[in-house]
Amino acid sequence: MLSSAASSLFWMARYLERAESQARLLDVSLTMALIDVPEDRIEQLSVPLLVSGTREIFFDYYTEITPQNLINFLLLDSRHPTSVFNIIQSARDNALHVRGNLSSDVWESINQAWLEMRELQHRGVTESNASSVFDWVRERSHLFRGAAYGTLLRNDAFHFLRLGTFIERAETTARVLDIRHVMAMKAEQDHATQVFFEWTAVLHSLAAFEAYQNTYGHNLDAMSVAELLILEPAVPRSLHACLGEIAGLLEQVESGEAQESRRLASSLFANIRFGNRDYIAERGLHNYLVDFLERIQLIANQIQKDYMGWQG
Amino acid sequence: MLIQTPAEGLYDELFDKNNRVRPQCRMLEQWLLNSNEELIAEKRREADVLFQRLGITFNVYGEDQGTDRLIPFDLIPRVISASDWHTLQTGLRQRVQALNRFLYDIYHDYDIVKAGVISAEQVFANPQYQPGMQNLKLPRNLYCHIAGIDLIRHNDGNFYVLEDNLRCPSGVSYMLENRRMMMRLFPELFAHSAVAPVEHYPNLLGETLRAASLKPDPTVVLLTPGRFNSAYFEHAFLARQMGIELVEGADLFVAHNKVYMKTTTGPQQVDVIYRRIDDDFLDPLAGNPDSMLGVAGLYAAYRTGNVVLTNAVGNGVADDKSIYPYVPDMIRFYLDEEPILKNVPTWQCRNPKDLRYVLEHLQELVVKEAQGAGGYGMLIGPKASKKELDLFRSLLKARPQDYIAQPTLSLSTCPTFVDEGVAPRHLDLRPFVLSGKKIQMVPGGLTRVALEKGSLVVNSSQGGGTKDTWVLEDGQC
Repeated sequence: MLSSAASSLFWMARYLERAESQARLLDVSLTMALIDVPEDRIEQLSVPLLVSGTREIFFDYYTEITPQNLINFLLLDSRHPTSVFNIIQSARDNALHVRGNLSSDVWESINQAWLEMRELQHRGVTESNASSVFDWVRERSHLFRGAAYGTLLRNDAFHFLRLGTFIERAETTARVLDIRHVMAMKAEQDHATQVFFEWTAVLHSLAAFEAYQNTYGHNLDAMSVAELLILEPAVPRSLHACLGEIAGLLEQVESGEAQESRRLASSLFANIRFGNRDYIAERGLHNYLVDFLERIQLIANQIQKDYMGWQG
Repeated sequence: MLIQTPAEGLYDELFDKNNRVRPQCRMLEQWLLNSNEELIAEKRREADVLFQRLGITFNVYGEDQGTDRLIPFDLIPRVISASDWHTLQTGLRQRVQALNRFLYDIYHDYDIVKAGVISAEQVFANPQYQPGMQNLKLPRNLYCHIAGIDLIRHNDGNFYVLEDNLRCPSGVSYMLENRRMMMRLFPELFAHSAVAPVEHYPNLLGETLRAASLKPDPTVVLLTPGRFNSAYFEHAFLARQMGIELVEGADLFVAHNKVYMKTTTGPQQVDVIYRRIDDDFLDPLAGNPDSMLGVAGLYAAYRTGNVVLTNAVGNGVADDKSIYPYVPDMIRFYLDEEPILKNVPTWQCRNPKDLRYVLEHLQELVVKEAQGAGGYGMLIGPKASKKELDLFRSLLKARPQDYIAQPTLSLSTCPTFVDEGVAPRHLDLRPFVLSGKKIQMVPGGLTRVALEKGSLVVNSSQGGGTKDTWVLEDGQC
């Protein structure tokens, strides 16, 4: 398939995954801000800015972190690329470029999301209806995934699309876990009762709360959460699950000379697959995640070099 | 629902001159009379939503980028009887065959010029003539693989050819989507009538493109200017329907006079390019050096015979409005047949006698740029203000060779949904003619309709809409 098409499919899926995770994060942060003690509210609200790396840009446009400003900035603002509005628009732009490789169902699901997003931006979103908008973003993402799984040919177009999804997802899980675990550790020292909510927030942000309950029961502790989100293959957003998909997909993609991204992905996958919580504890969760983020970034770059690198 | 009857002196596709419904349209009339306004309004909204969701929008040049607009779709189909279509089909086949012969001739033997049918100046000094195409051997001697011929029906009931489009004719996706939309919204209409199918057009197009190369299983791609082109939707639609790659200039490169596309597994050679980019933008080394849309070296590869372009380079000389008056003569000259389809009488302002006539009768005439397209830069005498008339008078005097003039034709009308109900509106017809191993077309084509009362401009860029076009297989509907 065309390298430029592979690139657009890859990014289209990344953007849609990003829109979904950003909606989840924002949802959880706004809820947490209500639960938290007033002096920590700002810290709660900052999480989505930290995860998306936009805290500085935020202060270019707003003077104060409030729920409404956060909603405007991360959901609707068209002045910077990281708002859900612009993320969906970028997904749609990429989809338009590979219109020829998409089924009508997939294209329509994305185009419809974009049309409704424009509508939403026009009408505006407030704190009181924000939750329903987050639900909507999640539903659109589910619909896209359903249309993709239900109607796309299982060829390289499909593989590159899924590679985009899992690269983005692995990065998000690692980032959220990294930032939120620091906050949970801090809470452990200051307000012991707060710890439960902090870890709940991590799990909700990554749609893994129910999975945790299933696996470990009610005792929320740091290492179990980390173990679940890193090492548990059955949890869809765990690093293990994502890397398993990435390594498997790279095996399936038709490949000429390019082998480097396969090697990198398989090696990182083996690392996680045969890793254990003791190793993570020894290394320190933060260091472990920083190392992981570096390596997943390398894999993403190598995929682009191996298959989409003509434009360079 | 009430149907307004047409004005005197016009041909209407639904009513005859005594305001009786034409026999082939009786079922359509019944359907209209039985439909209530609410239902129709609801269906129109549904169609809008569906088109919007499919992303069938187009960009208007001169407006902000990213302002997608829908081409208005009218729910009342335009009906063509089987016998009318038979005549049209035979005439179109003849016309396109002669035009292909003409293109071969003016790039090889110049017989038609030598015979004095058309002057050397008009062919060789035409800005669209490409000397680089001389003596280039093309497979099957074909230049125009995909033609869109614009026709109108005059008040004498005859079809006239208004314009030949032999470069990159567009609009076929609307023909296909309009049919799909009608079948979705009104399945009951199709259950009771024998409307000839058009859905196989992409298959015929694919067959035509593969036949453009002499290789047994050629790699065919569709070359688009990209997402911001007004016809991008159509390019993506056709590529998908034919199962070929949709490429932009940056996806291709030329090495050793061969064209390759950049794929995830390395370079892959391309044999046929269905290009939807104008000649001048195809290759920055040969045409416009600033073109970012084309592929450097493409023209050399083409000249070497390693790649086929559909349509060929240099076709513009044959669909130019100053060459148009000679098409009937071409048919006589190359095929030794009488033209089946009529031409609109045309004054060529390059001739002093014609120019004088045009200046004297400017108010009755339509003046067009010989090289214009899309309904831009034309004057409709009877509807023009004094200022516009004066402007064109001076333009004609300054550059007479750039203009032609034609009588104001009374385009036929067809009932159309408008704000005040169902009223007659003017329309034209663009059938698509495919030339490969043989000449093929699907019955009908794209019907464009001017939505403004009395307007004769059907171009979508100027507020025109489209209709589904029905050719009836058994004469009844």
